[in-house]
Amino acid sequence: MNATPPSPIGSGVAQPLPPPTPSSVAPTFGGRVRAIAYRIGPFVPALVPLAVVVGIVVALVSAALQANILSSVFSFHWNPPANQWGFGVFLVGSLLTAVPALVLSMAVGLGLAIASTTYLPRFLTVWLDPFVDLLAGIPSVVYGIWAYVNLTPYFANDFNPWIHGHLGFVPGLGGKLPSTGGTGLPISIFILTLMALPITTLLIRDSLRSVPKDLWESGLALGATRWEVLRHVALPYSSRGVLSAGLLGFGRAFGETVAVAMLIGGAAVIPTSFFGATDTIAATMFSLLDSARNNSHFLSGLADMGLVLFAITLVVNILGRRLVTSLYASEIAGL
Amino acid sequence: MAAATVRSASPALPPDDVLTRSSGRLRWRTGFDSAIGWLLPLLFVVALYPILELVYYISVQAVPTLSWTVLTSTNPVAVDALGVPIITTFEIMALATAIASGLGALGGIATAEFLPDQAAEVVRASANMLAGAPSVVVGYFGYIAFVLYFGWGLSYIAGVVTLSFFMLPYVFRTVDLAFTSIPRPIREAALGSGAGPSQYVLRVGTPIAFPQILNGIFLAMAIGVGETAPLVLTTTHGVLVPQSIYSPVSFLTALIWSDFDAGKVSGLQVVAFQCAFLLMIVVIALNIVVRVISARYRKRLEGLYQ
Amino acid sequence: MTATPAPSGWEDVVLSVRDLTVSSKERKLIDRLSLDFPPRSLTAVIGPSGCGKTTFVRTLNRMTELTPGLKISGSVLYLGQEIYSREVNPVLVRRRIGMVFQRPTVFPKSIFENAAFGLRLINEDEGAIDRAVTDALQRAGLWDEVKDDLDRPALSLSGGQQQRLCIARALATRPRVILLDEPTSALDPAATQRVESTMQHLKEDHVLILVTHNVGQAARVSDRIAFLHSGRLIEVGPTPEILERPREALTQQFITGRFA
Repeated sequence: MNATPPSPIGSGVAQPLPPPTPSSVAPTFGGRVRAIAYRIGPFVPALVPLAVVVGIVVALVSAALQANILSSVFSFHWNPPANQWGFGVFLVGSLLTAVPALVLSMAVGLGLAIASTTYLPRFLTVWLDPFVDLLAGIPSVVYGIWAYVNLTPYFANDFNPWIHGHLGFVPGLGGKLPSTGGTGLPISIFILTLMALPITTLLIRDSLRSVPKDLWESGLALGATRWEVLRHVALPYSSRGVLSAGLLGFGRAFGETVAVAMLIGGAAVIPTSFFGATDTIAATMFSLLDSARNNSHFLSGLADMGLVLFAITLVVNILGRRLVTSLYASEIAGL
Repeated sequence: MAAATVRSASPALPPDDVLTRSSGRLRWRTGFDSAIGWLLPLLFVVALYPILELVYYISVQAVPTLSWTVLTSTNPVAVDALGVPIITTFEIMALATAIASGLGALGGIATAEFLPDQAAEVVRASANMLAGAPSVVVGYFGYIAFVLYFGWGLSYIAGVVTLSFFMLPYVFRTVDLAFTSIPRPIREAALGSGAGPSQYVLRVGTPIAFPQILNGIFLAMAIGVGETAPLVLTTTHGVLVPQSIYSPVSFLTALIWSDFDAGKVSGLQVVAFQCAFLLMIVVIALNIVVRVISARYRKRLEGLYQ
Repeated sequence: MTATPAPSGWEDVVLSVRDLTVSSKERKLIDRLSLDFPPRSLTAVIGPSGCGKTTFVRTLNRMTELTPGLKISGSVLYLGQEIYSREVNPVLVRRRIGMVFQRPTVFPKSIFENAAFGLRLINEDEGAIDRAVTDALQRAGLWDEVKDDLDRPALSLSGGQQQRLCIARALATRPRVILLDEPTSALDPAATQRVESTMQHLKEDHVLILVTHNVGQAARVSDRIAFLHSGRLIEVGPTPEILERPREALTQQFITGRFA
């Protein structure tokens, strides 16, 4: 029995259609133009996504090469006035926000997916599942403004001091508590988790659903509890889906721009404390574009970062998508 | 159910066969399974509480202050006049959706039906790459390509085109998938009866895939209306409805951002929440529509299968 | 493990079904079915599609509980104990009443781990697991073909081998009863033949209940045949009798229509 999920029905491996031919056969100039148009026509709109991707790379590269600055991801000194363009700081910032958000959203997503597929009755999951998916639809600027106004006081007055007080012995959680008004890593990680959650939940849920019913039942028929079947049969079977959830969730968190820009605190340093402010590549690119508009050096530096950002999200997305080919891929088309 | 009648006395059963015995290990296994069955669903509460809080808070902040005047006033000087941003957002969305849908649908159909397999895979991968691109990266592309290189400057049209490219892969993917999911027998029957490729696409494929195509468009709209970066990076702020393709513009997401940026939300707070509220409603409505169409379409597709 | 003698006092009946009724919201799937299963026998359950034979067999190891909305009344007694009693854990029921499904459902693990699956849940020691796995694979007729490398992925086996592995997997927990739901319908004739001979071998030690749509198969391997129609037990009796001199008209129609 094949362990790979079934390929989409009617998957596009059918013979491609020949290009449409014009009905007129007269070799007039107009006729010939039409013939060529018909041959090439279909291919043009199909190439648009490819063209745009290439365009992005070309645009960023040309902007990056424009001014002769020495910007590097390996340097951690970002000080444009002093001609220092080391954006390693921002890469660290991006990782510091995205990785914890990934871990949290995977953990919660796994739990939700398991609950939804194995433990909850249909009449509940029918509306709970779309509810979670709705999290993905909220615009990031709305997340940002809500969190900035409604949540930062909570983080500043309750959450941060509590962690600092009770877990201060853990390196990074102790020391002097920076006063950031609630912005910084903790709240950013929280919002990113919310934003990545629908992706992880949906992908894991879909993979669990694609485990053949026979297989579940065989496990139960051997005297296993539902949890045991999950752990020893269903989850291993869906490992590709789980991995894909991780990759795509990470891609989402890593590339998130506006919400992070509003919540991260915008300090171009690697924070010494978990509660401190920092910055990510995407957020920096977004909030500093004003300066870039008048300054081609700035634009170069930012475009450089953009290339690294784009490259990372590219790799993660391609890998993640490759792992998942399901009939209901349309559900993840929006993610 | 008959009452438990374990026949006592007479033939004693070997311990293995006694169904009512229970060992510590068995109790642990069953107990753990039940416990998980209660705990995991509680995660739903944890996960969904923030969004409920978000919706509640924004509604509470915005609804009392909204009125017909606020929504329709196009007074360029007044602080709380949302008429211009609303109309502009609407116009931007209409144009960007038209472009994204046109190119995306055509591209999706072409990829599903006309492209040889390898080329199709490359194109699909690039659509995925584009969809996964951070909004700020697409914004930079728009800025460098359209604002600078094409010389359009920070303008209405630069924003619209950039946004349309951001929305395109979603329509593309959905249409591509819709056409490849058409059951083979139907496709072959149509072609076998002598339909030309474009006739097949128009007369057979599109009607079948139509709900999905519509879905892709709504999906792209839901995503596009909430985007900030691709537009903010390619446009400049204005107070009037766009007069020409090079105009400055003012739209909902930009208002929220600029409110935040300028003075980190002071007296202008209310406007930010009003815009957030409107966006939220639109996005939730579109998401619901998408889901309903999806569910109906799924049933219909199964119906095609006998 | 050698032939398990029936516990003293239970030489006549291992599994006893009394007035079993299974109904969904729309209709009755099983209607007041009563049937006893003696030790060391193979009972074939046959009938037209939709007659409830699969549903029936699934009530015997409480698998019907997995389908929401089904109401079950009547009783199913395993060695005199009501399996649906509140005090009975379904996990234990399934250890004593095993099941093999229509399509081979091997787990994505090694051959050894597949066979050992049920035992690992009970946490027997490694030596016992080893012996039980070897024994089960032998009795399922698969040992010679896999003994060289038990760590191979189970999915690398052919369909027929996988199904025999599923049988071995069910055997490993030493059940008295084995339910087989059309186990050869997904197999080619050669593999089918091997599974049939395995069943004939196993019926010397276990109670086998075989659901099949293939009357020929029932003729070849079973001791008795139970004929179901629309959820009711129409007739049950020794195989030769049912095939040649069925008492009920319905049975007659079915047999003559299907006997190939």
